[in-house]
Amino acid sequence: MTNSINEFEDADLFLVTGSNTTAQHPLIGSRIINAKERGAKLLLIDPRAIQFAQFADLHLRQNIGTDVAVLNGMMNIIIEENLYDRTFVEERTEGFDQLKSVTSRYTPRVVERISGISAADLEKAARMYATSDKAMLVYCMGITQHTTGTDNVKSCANLAMLTGHIGRPSTGVNPLRGQNNVQGACDMGALPNVYSGYQPVTDTAIKKKFEDAWGVQVLDDKVGLTVTEMMIAVRKEEIKSLYIMGENPMMSDPDTSHIDHALSHLEFLVVQDIFLSETAAKADVVLPAASFAEKEGTFTNTERRVQISKKAVPPPGLARPDWEIICEVSRLAGYAMDYTSPADIMREINTLTPSYAGITYRRLEQSYGIQWPCPNEEHPGTPYLHRDRFTKGRGTFLPCDFKPVAEVPDEEYDFLLTTGRIYYHYHTGTMTRRISILEREAPVPMIEINPEDAKRLSIKNNDTVEITSRRGVIKARAEVTGRVPRKVVFSTFHFHEAPVNLLTNPALDPLAKIPEYKGCAVKVRRCV
Amino acid sequence: MKTIAKKDVKALLSLWTKEYHVLAPCRTARGDFIFADFSEESFTLDYKKPPLPPKSVFLPHTEVIFTVENGQFKETVTAHNVVLFGIRSCDMMGILQCTSFMTRDRNDIYYSTKNAMARTVVMACPGPQNETCFCTTTFSGPVAHKGFDLLFYDMGESFIIQTGSKRGEDILMSGPLSDIDNAVARRKIEAFTKQAVENIPVVDEITEAMTRLESGNVDEKIWEHFGQKCIVCGGCAFVCPTCTCFNVYDHESSPGHGIRARAWDACLYGGFTREASGHNPRATQASRLQRRHEHKLLYYNDTDVQGGLCGCVGCGRCSDYCPVRIGTLEVAKALVSN
Amino acid sequence: MARTPSICPFCGCGCEFYLASHGGRVVGIEPSPSNPVNKGMLCAKGWNAYEFIHSPDRLTKPLVRKHGTLVESSWEEALKTVAGKLTEIKSQYGPRALAFLSSAKVTNEENYLFMKMARAVFGTNNVDHCARL
Ligand code: SF4
Ligand code: SF4
Ligand code: SF4
Repeated sequence: MTNSINEFEDADLFLVTGSNTTAQHPLIGSRIINAKERGAKLLLIDPRAIQFAQFADLHLRQNIGTDVAVLNGMMNIIIEENLYDRTFVEERTEGFDQLKSVTSRYTPRVVERISGISAADLEKAARMYATSDKAMLVYCMGITQHTTGTDNVKSCANLAMLTGHIGRPSTGVNPLRGQNNVQGACDMGALPNVYSGYQPVTDTAIKKKFEDAWGVQVLDDKVGLTVTEMMIAVRKEEIKSLYIMGENPMMSDPDTSHIDHALSHLEFLVVQDIFLSETAAKADVVLPAASFAEKEGTFTNTERRVQISKKAVPPPGLARPDWEIICEVSRLAGYAMDYTSPADIMREINTLTPSYAGITYRRLEQSYGIQWPCPNEEHPGTPYLHRDRFTKGRGTFLPCDFKPVAEVPDEEYDFLLTTGRIYYHYHTGTMTRRISILEREAPVPMIEINPEDAKRLSIKNNDTVEITSRRGVIKARAEVTGRVPRKVVFSTFHFHEAPVNLLTNPALDPLAKIPEYKGCAVKVRRCV
Repeated sequence: MKTIAKKDVKALLSLWTKEYHVLAPCRTARGDFIFADFSEESFTLDYKKPPLPPKSVFLPHTEVIFTVENGQFKETVTAHNVVLFGIRSCDMMGILQCTSFMTRDRNDIYYSTKNAMARTVVMACPGPQNETCFCTTTFSGPVAHKGFDLLFYDMGESFIIQTGSKRGEDILMSGPLSDIDNAVARRKIEAFTKQAVENIPVVDEITEAMTRLESGNVDEKIWEHFGQKCIVCGGCAFVCPTCTCFNVYDHESSPGHGIRARAWDACLYGGFTREASGHNPRATQASRLQRRHEHKLLYYNDTDVQGGLCGCVGCGRCSDYCPVRIGTLEVAKALVSN
Repeated sequence: MARTPSICPFCGCGCEFYLASHGGRVVGIEPSPSNPVNKGMLCAKGWNAYEFIHSPDRLTKPLVRKHGTLVESSWEEALKTVAGKLTEIKSQYGPRALAFLSSAKVTNEENYLFMKMARAVFGTNNVDHCARL
């Protein structure tokens, strides 16, 4: 997020797209609801009628995967009607002319044809966003989990820059991070192309810095593989071994049978986890790890706030904290790691990671966390980014053209399946499904289907239905609801009984390598 | 009566820790106020009401109630000699309310054993502890009138201590205390109480909402409005000093071995009332919120249900900690606004 | 009864709560009243984040696959197997034949060490996590 959670309390307008905020980020969702009550506006762009739909001043239900067209359409209107922030565009950005020429093709009529959103609504939306003083753009996986995810993200940024809704309190582009430490995993360089603090592995000076600090001769200066590419490399037998810490790709990755097949190809699979997940069951070695309550460490939330979490209880049996296990494996592989505590590791992070340099345990113990960038121990942290300038100086508009979802419905596979989460469960369900109250609230996998489609297919509430894609088939109970539009079904990946990722399309966004979880073609029938 | 200098309170509590498990207000390194095991370093007399009421001591958020080994079950009733120091009058009333509920028809031994082994030391409030206090409306504060073992009155540099029970007298047998003439003490207490009551205005909307609910003169749309925005966190029930509902869960570690535990539940969750058939008598969030607030406000003084105590003790926590501001105060205001 | 500050293990909001514990078991959750993220509030997931910690399904011993099945082993055996096998594959096929998947659920320190292990110990940039998913 460019801005902070508490800034939601002062914004005039929220443009929420691809985020079911009250379910996925409830304590951000609640702030938006409270802001609505004091008079702020809510502009929702989402195919599903989520809880926010009841509050929205305007709800645009675009066809799935047409976000770029909608956002371009809004920008076109904003430019046409001269509602953009001229000073901001002139002083802080570049590439306006390209933006103008690309978006000019997205007239309300064109956008209406692509997205199903009426010209009148689109105009209203554009004006609402552009003319608000403090507008926060909020998005989540509904924007990123598409083959056009990067384009969607760029278009969001374009819109915010065009209107000057960035670099001030209660504005900005605010992607909500789904898991409690996604932000931290990225910050710490658990990525194939960067070390901690987004320092590129291809940069010679940086490489040298890490080589010296870590006491190794040469580090690889070629970018590695992303998770989805790894799975392909495994099948091609280029990768022989996979070491997985705390993840469950057998449930979370698209096209599960492909993953299953890939993992069986491996010569050696190590899984380190707190439960024997679907993935751990396939491992050659399983290492029992401590849960969050059984170790010390820091987590970084969606507003870049680094916070400390302490050990409350001992781990069960012989389970050990992940960091200790890593130290042991490294030592046995011939590289000494002699950290005595997570604080000790943080000291090394401080010295090697400019954005975390001032985030020390001493400070964290006495505060409610520090928001990076925090370059030194005196620095208070950074609630919002891009105040006077963008990281790279001027912000560049990166206009994109609309591309449809990779797998469009046809006569046989006539529905679009879109996936997501529900309020009561988290990720692949390994934790929340072991919590009785949450399990009671949502015990069985449901498939949302529109009443008109349900009627045509003779499906009633709670009927068992079968959903088939080109990759697999699952069964789940139907929830007949107007929450989903016609010709769209929605389900979640929390339930191993109906692993929805058997169906999803592994087609990737070419840059971010994010699979298209939010749209693949399926057919639906009632089971008899 | 006894008095104690403020600076000596730490010494008194230290003394108690020899025999009791003392829970007292504490200020953490980063300035959070919570109730925790007494420690000289973090103890403070300048504190706010913590999110969790003292019911959490007698009915813990989750607790093992029996274990099974080799197919044999063994009840696990855990209790300690506890001193609860510094709870507020509303929370004292909350304890009485819970105790009434947990012991009236059936004695819940997990609760009552813990309760029986606890000493309560109430801190009378000189004024509201936060903007949402309304104990003068629910007759539960600012000064406790029953249930306590000791009651502290803030006199500036010192406290006057009123004893409420034999057990209270017992824990005052020793310590850095002095005597004060009873008549003088009573006069001071009277003045304190009068001022305190004046400092906490009665919230007329609460009383009027009670009357409205009783006469059924309520706009149903209000519940729908609140139902729409409720994010179903369950927090209002968890932080409420008079909510006692729990759920039960089992953990079977191997055949014939395991535990049964219970844990706080909330009537705001849909599954709370869902029947085996799938039918739910409280099918919507609106109806769940209606039920909750009727329970807190409508059944006021109905001896059959509440044992003659209020359903709401005016602590204000549901207003402080509902993420979308659906506290009793907000609901009452909405109920009387038309 | 101890109270330990902790961060909710679920969504990215990062709400802070205290874990109340007694006798090695978590017995409750109390939201931090002053943390600016949650100000004494939590959602249903956060309020109920205690039960899975003591689930009987928790892994308590290392497991090593022998003759096709996972059997309990000592730490020593499991760790030696991991280090040995990874070193062997590295020397046989080169570092790029190894890949490491880190986690959005573990701490910063652990993510840092894991990527350091991949890069410094085993010499590969094939390290990623599942944030996109
Ligand atoms: S209903 Fe609200 S104000 Fe009343 S006792 Fe419960 S938490 Fe306190
Ligand atoms: S605290 Fe508020 S949001 Fe949470 S369940 Fe209660 S009324 Fe709903
Ligand atoms: S309590 Fe809820 S909103 Fe807060 S971090 Fe946990 S899952 Fe997110």
